[in-house]
Amino acid sequence: MAYVSLQFVIFTAAVTAIYFLFPVRKYQWTVLLAADYFFYLYSGYKYAIFIIFTTATIYLAGKAIGRSQETEKETLKLKKAEWGREEKKAFKAGVKRRQRTVLALALIANFGILIFLKYSNFIAGGLNQLISPGTGSGPIPMLKLFLPLGISFYTFQAAGYLIDVYNATIAPEKNFFKFALFISFFPQIVQGPISSFGQLGSQLFAEHRPEFARFKAGLELILWGYFKKMIIADRAVIAINTVTADYAKYSGTVILATALLYALQLYADFSAGIDISRGIAQMLGIDMVQNFRRPYFATSINDYWRRWHISLGTWMKNYIFYPVAMSKLFLGWSKKMKASSFGKTAAGAYVAKVLPTAFSSMIVFLVVGLWHGANAKYVAFGIWNGGIIMLSILLKPVFDRLCEALRIRTESFAWRVFRILRTFVIVLIGYYFDIAPGFRGALDMMRRSITDLHLRGGISLMRGLGLGKSDWAILAFGALTIFVTSVIGEKHGYEFPGEMLEKRSFALRWMVLFASMVLVAVWGIYGPGYDPAEFVYMQF
Amino acid sequence: MDELMAVLEELRPDVDFETEKGLIKNGILDSFDIISLVSSLDEAFDIEIKPADLIPDNFNSAEAIWALVQRLMED
Repeated sequence: MAYVSLQFVIFTAAVTAIYFLFPVRKYQWTVLLAADYFFYLYSGYKYAIFIIFTTATIYLAGKAIGRSQETEKETLKLKKAEWGREEKKAFKAGVKRRQRTVLALALIANFGILIFLKYSNFIAGGLNQLISPGTGSGPIPMLKLFLPLGISFYTFQAAGYLIDVYNATIAPEKNFFKFALFISFFPQIVQGPISSFGQLGSQLFAEHRPEFARFKAGLELILWGYFKKMIIADRAVIAINTVTADYAKYSGTVILATALLYALQLYADFSAGIDISRGIAQMLGIDMVQNFRRPYFATSINDYWRRWHISLGTWMKNYIFYPVAMSKLFLGWSKKMKASSFGKTAAGAYVAKVLPTAFSSMIVFLVVGLWHGANAKYVAFGIWNGGIIMLSILLKPVFDRLCEALRIRTESFAWRVFRILRTFVIVLIGYYFDIAPGFRGALDMMRRSITDLHLRGGISLMRGLGLGKSDWAILAFGALTIFVTSVIGEKHGYEFPGEMLEKRSFALRWMVLFASMVLVAVWGIYGPGYDPAEFVYMQF
Repeated sequence: MDELMAVLEELRPDVDFETEKGLIKNGILDSFDIISLVSSLDEAFDIEIKPADLIPDNFNSAEAIWALVQRLMED
């Protein structure tokens, strides 16, 4: 069931109605659970076994760790007078070891499935290359595997829950069915946002009454989502697919324009999906975390990753970046370097200090790259982003000094615009890895975007890419709308354009909403025989 | 506490740690600062801060950080 389909709209409306009309509010959440499994089974019943496996194993592991923590507390209380400090310490260490074993087994099982389904062909292909290079085949057979819907998202969400239980920052959920709801919540199962149990859990199980303000805000958010998805993203993707299907046919100018168009399409598409998800949740009385904050206005790559796919960034920070940077290995390296003769110099002391952060960032981005897909180009995408961040950390004092020497006013507007443009170029280079057929193709496309650039022919170059003149005009209008609303949003800190209307008159508000609805209806890419494009992030 | 203030001052001379109560909540310290801070604190107070200790409540103010340091020193 695609988000952009009449079926989905009817399904959501029906779920919302049943949810609020459900006679026993205490059990209102069971409506959501039923809806989740209906949605999931309807979308592909064959793969439900995987989400059930994840739900069951993580639930049981969480329960076991929770029980062990309770027993630990009770025992320590009982033996308070009897045991000395060392005995207590040894006991705690033993308990922690057992908990860690449970955690590791559950994580290995679940990530094992994800890795097997998503990466076995990538790994097999790599091994074949090693064994018989250049032949394109090898002794290890390729498997025909399909990814269960949302597996990258729900596996991460479930793993986050278990690590939180292990760290004792949350209590494990006792009710299996409530936990199943947290893993399968239908508005977010397809493409996130990846939520933490602490933030989402209690909201899912609480009693909710229909509220006009929430309905209105939720519907506005959904409408904004459909605007971005149907008017912009699904239109832009036609031209992008035409060019990327055989980019060698096109000039560097067209390739560059396609990369820019992809930046627009990817943002419009992914943020639209999240807006629709968050809008539905909002109507149901549930607030889901924000996933985007005008990413193309970021002033550094680091800033970009705090604005783009925020929920994945938060997950990576909490469960990979911190544990790796704070590991004994990395902190030990840092210490060793500090003690060395290099570490005694000013530069050495700085490098030693930021070494764990720099290496950990690189690892995070390798994982982020691989998370997007099993392909060498995504590895390159990760290394590109991680490498830039590593360099920016290691060379920060140099850049600071350079700014000082050149007397750059770092607070000025012009400097900020320069930084935004510079960041965008770095992001855009990363996108080439996304749209290219492979790693080499990406480099070739980049080379041609620079060397084969000519503005002769102007706009007419974009003819014959599957879009007519009016389509380009609509795209320009859509891009301008996103840009203007983003500028205003950035200035006032709005989460989405609907907030701009809040203080306006009733008439103006409804005029804008009505006009948006008409635009989606008239300009939206759909209709009989049209297969709505799946959300880009669904494939991850 | 004075030793802690010295560590914080060195980390981010631009921040007023005496009054700021939302170091994490208001996005003043980012994840890179946190790692630098953790390694400095580990060294200065001979403690071991773990990833599980990295919850906002432990780092929002100098007092909160000091409370965490003291708790870990007792362990």
